[in-house]
Amino acid sequence: MLPEPDSELSSREVEHVALLARLGITPEEVTRYRDQLRNILTHIDALNRADTSRVSATAHPLQQRNVMRDDERKPSLTIEAALQNAPRVEDGYFKVKAIQE
Amino acid sequence: MKPFQRTIRELHQMLVKREISSIELTESALGQIDAVGRETHAYLAVTRDLALRQAREADARIREGRAVRPLTGIPVALKDVLCVEGVPTTAGSRILEGFVPPYSATVVERLSTEGAVFLGKTNCDEFAMGSSNENSGYRPVRNPWDLDRVPGGSSGGSAAAVASGEAVAALGSDTGGSIRQPAALTGTVGMKPTYGRVSRYGLIAFASSLDQVGPITRDVADCATLLQAIAGHDPRDSTSSEHPVPDYVAGLQGGVHGMRIGVPREYFVTGMEPAVERAVRSAIEVFERLGAAIEEVSLPHSDVALPAYYIIAPAEASSNLARYDGARYGVQAGGGHNVTEEYQLTRQQGFGAEVKRRIMLGTYALSSGYYDAYYLKAQKVRTLIIEDFARAFEKVDALLGATSPTVAFPLGAKTQDPVAMYLNDIITIPANLGNVCGISVPCGLAQGLPIGLQVIAPGFREEVALRVAYAFESATSFHKDRSPLIGAAG
Amino acid sequence: MSAIATRYEVVVGLEVHAQVTTQSKMFCGCSTDYLVAAPNANTCPVCLGLPGSLPVINRKAVEATIRTALALNCEIPEFSKFDRKNYFYPDLPKGYQISQYDLPFSRNGHLEFEVKGEPRRCGITRVHLEEDTGKLLHAGAIEQAQSSLINLNRAGVPLMEIVSEPDLRTADEAREYVMRLRAILQYIGVNDGDMESGQLRCDANVSLRSVGATEFGTKVEVKNMNSFRAIHHAIEYEIARQTEVLDAGGKLVQETRGWNDAKNVTVSQRSKEFAEDYRYFPEPDLPPLEVSRAWVERIKATLPELPSARRDRLVKDFGLSAYDASILTSSKPMAEYFEETVRLGAPAKTAANWILGDFSRFLNADHKEIGESALRPSHLQQVIHLVDSGVISGKMAKQTFEEMYRAADPGPALEAAKRSKQISGDTELEAIVDQVIAQNEKSVNDFKAGKAQALMFLVGQAMKLSKGRANPERLNALMRARIEP
Ligand SMILES: [Mg+2]
Ligand SMILES: [Zn+2]
Repeated sequence: MLPEPDSELSSREVEHVALLARLGITPEEVTRYRDQLRNILTHIDALNRADTSRVSATAHPLQQRNVMRDDERKPSLTIEAALQNAPRVEDGYFKVKAIQE
Repeated sequence: MKPFQRTIRELHQMLVKREISSIELTESALGQIDAVGRETHAYLAVTRDLALRQAREADARIREGRAVRPLTGIPVALKDVLCVEGVPTTAGSRILEGFVPPYSATVVERLSTEGAVFLGKTNCDEFAMGSSNENSGYRPVRNPWDLDRVPGGSSGGSAAAVASGEAVAALGSDTGGSIRQPAALTGTVGMKPTYGRVSRYGLIAFASSLDQVGPITRDVADCATLLQAIAGHDPRDSTSSEHPVPDYVAGLQGGVHGMRIGVPREYFVTGMEPAVERAVRSAIEVFERLGAAIEEVSLPHSDVALPAYYIIAPAEASSNLARYDGARYGVQAGGGHNVTEEYQLTRQQGFGAEVKRRIMLGTYALSSGYYDAYYLKAQKVRTLIIEDFARAFEKVDALLGATSPTVAFPLGAKTQDPVAMYLNDIITIPANLGNVCGISVPCGLAQGLPIGLQVIAPGFREEVALRVAYAFESATSFHKDRSPLIGAAG
Repeated sequence: MSAIATRYEVVVGLEVHAQVTTQSKMFCGCSTDYLVAAPNANTCPVCLGLPGSLPVINRKAVEATIRTALALNCEIPEFSKFDRKNYFYPDLPKGYQISQYDLPFSRNGHLEFEVKGEPRRCGITRVHLEEDTGKLLHAGAIEQAQSSLINLNRAGVPLMEIVSEPDLRTADEAREYVMRLRAILQYIGVNDGDMESGQLRCDANVSLRSVGATEFGTKVEVKNMNSFRAIHHAIEYEIARQTEVLDAGGKLVQETRGWNDAKNVTVSQRSKEFAEDYRYFPEPDLPPLEVSRAWVERIKATLPELPSARRDRLVKDFGLSAYDASILTSSKPMAEYFEETVRLGAPAKTAANWILGDFSRFLNADHKEIGESALRPSHLQQVIHLVDSGVISGKMAKQTFEEMYRAADPGPALEAAKRSKQISGDTELEAIVDQVIAQNEKSVNDFKAGKAQALMFLVGQAMKLSKGRANPERLNALMRARIEP
């Protein structure tokens, strides 16, 4: 079940999580977030009080099934509208920094 | 009495009787925004020109008696998490500064067809994450009852706008209490419909399996009127329900005589202010006088609702907010050596502290090795909470409790302690996880600050919650209390 | 390779991504033909990942996936759902891909194919449905590019992922597996099979283990092989490269390598020391799916004859060799071309030889599909008939066929062939005429007595004598001149 207390959230994990989430983070923030998240997680550990052995997980609150649409085309946005909010555009493309440095 | 102080229903009568024009009404509301807006900071954007154009169209509709609907010509405010084509929409976040959606949310389209008038986009906690509106990426909203106090959140701007007369009614969104809690703290009526009752298409997502759009109004009848306009199936939202929409306004009548109303013992939480508990207890007496059968019930898993919520909501949010990378819209930081650094800088600078905290919490809860311990466990607890409500509703028709354990607290009081802030939603969160509907109505004042009474009804029984709330409102006058900013409604 | 094969066992598993041919995208109404459209012309709030937009499932894509799974002998579970696969990349607008994780539409199937006529079988782990990503444009090579340009026309196109078991043991097997898979997708009409344009993409997991070993060796994922040739060469290259490392006592790193078609090598892209963590969780915006048995049966009923069945039929009905039949049926258009040619009257074996011989050679050289050629079954049937009726020699037929293939309109070359051996020289014709007159005195006299149709008879006799090769007009003229009074 829940990770052992000794496996309490580490600074390394905070850095890893920040990288997974693409959040730039300063060394001070690593420490601050680590302590805040540790504190939040200790409250969240209260989940253990609940016996969930006999229940299944609820991912979707409603009982709907097989919600689908027909394969029909609907008008797209104009290229102008599609690009209107983009910080950087070139020849009708969105432009970002290169993948590698 | 000034037009902006009135209710939708009063104003509708005046509009159709031609005692007032929508232009006059809209200008009176815009005038109030000019007068008190810089004190409440209820709005992030005021759409003056759009409002006046819509008001003129509404007046034409009324003049020609063409498709006049209950909301035709009524000035409303929209929480900034709702996309409006051509109108800046930021979800209260710097990362979306300057974003202008090329499309409108379904609820926005429905209000346009009704002929409603859009006054602007209301301030809110960034991406609807917060209970005090202090997480707005722009400026905190102030409570019209006491400008040194918070209006609650995350729909604090919408609630403050209605409470200050800067709008006749407003739309908010509720993921863990974000409509009901600010309604309670501002003396307004706010409803979280059942998940699936109102389309989420065009609502900027916080937690997709919990988010619902709902009304914030001056009284219960207005709440029913506004809900009527936005409820119903939407093919663009696969999670919206085809469950038929009843006539909510007609359903208000009938009272609570012979109704069975439950009082969950767990909802009198530790840390609840005595004045709040007193107000709720006397509200219960009102229902007894009205002939309802009151019985204490138990929702045994209420104590694990908060921890479950703080896994499920951040987990979904961490994924929903991944799209804010500055490539297609929003603000791009610049200065990164490659796209990864670019994303990291953009998100570091664009997101506020609480949003980052929740993204990290959610990312952690979903990451390999922790998924079962946190996310899966929380989803199972969610099942237990759904069962709690199901069991309670076998015995009773509706549930009563406080909306918030406290009245509006001073700005800055809880900003340093995330957990203390999270506790504000301890009585509202179960309804989101349990997949039921809830409404908050004014039930008194404590040192001049509003207290909210929460009525919870089974899923897709909004008419029951509204009817119970309406019976209480009709038997009391708390909803007539007005904030100093709007002035007494004589 | 044979020396290596004795020391190491090659283990290959393939991951094929196949776009589903639909009108609209997987979760929105945008058009799927991204190849022709201007950059970002086929986009909307949903496939741009704009705030507030929500996906809605395209039923046709779901049914196409189930069709594919049935054609690959898969089990179709009664309950399925979509999940979010979370990772950041500029071609992924939402920061997550809507895919399927623990409850795909199908699992546990298999695919049968041949290698040089030898039957093989490869297990299919699963077939699931997801959304394609956008396309990135790099100024120059991705390694040096200063910036990337994003085109989201392809983002959200329905994409099937077909994962094989690690059952393949040679590069040949891998290539034949993909060829057969491609044929099946075309047969059931869910994918057009164009690898160059990316409609069909293939990744390979390649590892070696010493013969007899039970656990797998370190696996290397090889990406962007966009032709059968590339698949074959890339896997051959990896086998050789890994063998070298192992022989030198070295260790292989688990990594992703890209196939460089120009240099004919695989190049390391990223090693897995930063393990991706996709944080899969159920897509909250999409309710799950119950795949009723009735629904599966309805889909099953729409499945056409599959290559293997067609191959067996060709062997049985036309007496073709299993080898010829399986090559003919490896492409639906080719199989249909063959059957049409036979239907028009050509002997099956001959038709097969032409199609698998010269015709395929020309087509491969031009990178063309049989359907793209102006040379239709009726043309081929006539060429075959000219040979069989002795009008032209086999050698001449080959020339004629190539001329017909090269020409925009095969007609003239065919007509020329029909006329090719015609006798027009008077001396030769007169000899024939004299012989006919000598043998048919009665008819000659009838004509002289005014029976016009007798001339027709005599000309017919002469034509017969020339085996139909006499120039009819000339023959007629000479005959008339000789017998007219
Ligand atoms: Mg995939
Ligand atoms: Zn689209």
